Amino acid sequence: MLTDEELERYDRQIIQPQIGIKGQEKIKQARVLIAGAGGLGSPAAFYLSAAGVGTIGIVDHDVVELSNLNRQILHWDRDVGKAKAISATEKLKELNHGITVKTIKETITEATVSQILTDFDMVIDAMDNLPTRYLLNKAALEKNIPFFHGAVYGFEGRAMTIIPGETACLRCVYRGVLPEKKFPVLGTTPAVIGCIQATEAIKYMVGAGELLKNRLLIYDGLSMSFSELEVTRDPHCEHCGEQKGD
Amino acid sequence: MSKTIRIHQGLRHLTGDQPTVDVNGTTVGECLKEIVSRFPAMESKLFDKKGKLLNYIEIYVNAKTSYPEELAMPVKDGDELTIILMIAGG
Repeated sequence: MLTDEELERYDRQIIQPQIGIKGQEKIKQARVLIAGAGGLGSPAAFYLSAAGVGTIGIVDHDVVELSNLNRQILHWDRDVGKAKAISATEKLKELNHGITVKTIKETITEATVSQILTDFDMVIDAMDNLPTRYLLNKAALEKNIPFFHGAVYGFEGRAMTIIPGETACLRCVYRGVLPEKKFPVLGTTPAVIGCIQATEAIKYMVGAGELLKNRLLIYDGLSMSFSELEVTRDPHCEHCGEQKGD
Repeated sequence: MSKTIRIHQGLRHLTGDQPTVDVNGTTVGECLKEIVSRFPAMESKLFDKKGKLLNYIEIYVNAKTSYPEELAMPVKDGDELTIILMIAGG
């Protein structure tokens, strides 16, 4: 049930036939975990909070560094040295007092991932490394919750929506690991991709439009173009295939 | 008529900034070999020392993955190959 204040606050969303009052109530009921309060997590968290997502979890074990500030807009000058999860929670609560923000200052590991995902209906993959993304992908599949993937490098970004049992998963698409090194990024690239992830999550909540199912969307900021690659479930995928774990 | 390879932004400095290169191979492997023969610096960016495709490189043919055939996948005239580098930044 929406309050009078919520009806006014979300009016521009509610008047869209794809959302309406019922859709806004679904948004209010949603519980979204944002894994990573960095470049992707910042825009995703801001827009999901602004849209009225009832419960948002922010998981991040890092502290804010000066070199984060070109893109991680949840964190400001005054936050350097502060835990990102706390800095993010402060901003989101200021943006929208009507939502619940859960601060999770933890490292996502094989031992913690399942517990961290408990009590959430979906995950925004806003991590900065593949091993942790793989852990989240696997845990989301096990818990049967959607996983909204995004990744960036320089002027390029990618996004894909993973629905357990229905679509290819991240492990179907990527099988290797990347050598660890500092990645270049223009702040606007994760801004574009993080907003796409948030859009996908909201569409999922309200059942609107077509999701990025089995579609790897590629944003190229240099040529200012979008393209898509078709991805398919790998029957031998170690996370979602028929012989997983063999 | 030939096959076109779309070069990832991160590798274009190795092809003289050309976004695409036309080749004539009949498999993905032959097409990549041809590109390496023309731009030798591409070799270490695509293959390991045993000549196997690096595990963070994916080749798509006409926007569909070449996995699991990868280098052995046949290609025909007019096909478009896309070299994709894994990215994970957030």
